[in-house]
Amino acid sequence: MTSTGPNRGFDPDRLPVFSPDPALWGRIVRARRAAVRRQRWRASVASLAAAASVVLAVLALPRPVPPAQHVLADRQRESRQLEAAWLSFAPPKPEGLVHLRGIDAALQAAYDHGARADELAPLWQQRNRALRGLIAQAQAGANRGPTRI
Amino acid sequence: MADGQTARVEGGRVSTGFGQALDAATLERARRGDMAAHAAIYERYAGACYTLALRVLGEPAAAEDVVQEVFLRMFGTIGSFRGDAPFGAWLKRMAANATIDVVRARQRFASEDADGRMDALQDVAMAAEDRIDAWSMLMRLSPRARAIVILHEAEGYTHRELGALFGQSESYSKSILARALKSLDGTTHALPENPT
Repeated sequence: MTSTGPNRGFDPDRLPVFSPDPALWGRIVRARRAAVRRQRWRASVASLAAAASVVLAVLALPRPVPPAQHVLADRQRESRQLEAAWLSFAPPKPEGLVHLRGIDAALQAAYDHGARADELAPLWQQRNRALRGLIAQAQAGANRGPTRI
Repeated sequence: MADGQTARVEGGRVSTGFGQALDAATLERARRGDMAAHAAIYERYAGACYTLALRVLGEPAAAEDVVQEVFLRMFGTIGSFRGDAPFGAWLKRMAANATIDVVRARQRFASEDADGRMDALQDVAMAAEDRIDAWSMLMRLSPRARAIVILHEAEGYTHRELGALFGQSESYSKSILARALKSLDGTTHALPENPT
């Protein structure tokens, strides 16, 4: 394969043969270990990142609203409607207001303490019951007409 | 492809360097990641890798870097070695590629003018009066010309393979080799017979 011949001056067989530094193998082994450590580290980081992505994806999914939240929302909506109906009878009587304000204070305190939906729902239910009573009283008063002395 | 380094012992041709055979048991253990097997492979072929790289690059530190890169790469790829070619030939290809990568990287930064260096070499060769051995003359070639001379003359690469290695045509390799050998011959003919 070589171009060397009897008339050729350059003979590759006359070139010296070399040996690397005896310490080179030790350096290669250390570099190999470092590379393996890096690979493991990268694999660990990749696994952690994958796990974190899964957790984030799960957290980001729209979560179903628990039943207690539904109940609470229904009662709040009903309470607004009842209050509007009660206020349509003018003017509200002070004794009815005292009871209602007491329930409102209890509700406010519950919200201030970070009460859960299942703790708030009974208070809203209590408020709605009170409003129904006030509406009934107002309707009864309206039917009787003005008091004559 | 030639074995590269060979030696005659008691009339029989004994392979050395990349031409050495690797026994199947060592190869199999190396494939399984056995470090003792890797050490045995290193023991057998490190000299050939280092010699090839040093002959082309001319710098011991750079040649050691090539050896390190080749063996680190070998650790990771020996599992895919199918045994179609002798192990030494497979490793030699890795060593040649790693060496050529260094030559290319250096050339990108040095913007070496191979033609200019070749012309300068002609002048040196014609004026050579002192004793200059094959090694020192080789070192006066450009790294690219050295690579082609070493890979063709000592390691048995064909011009087609060399052209592919350098991303050039076959005739490019032929041209560089012819000019390099002419320069080397011009010098070494003037030398006294004195093997290194």
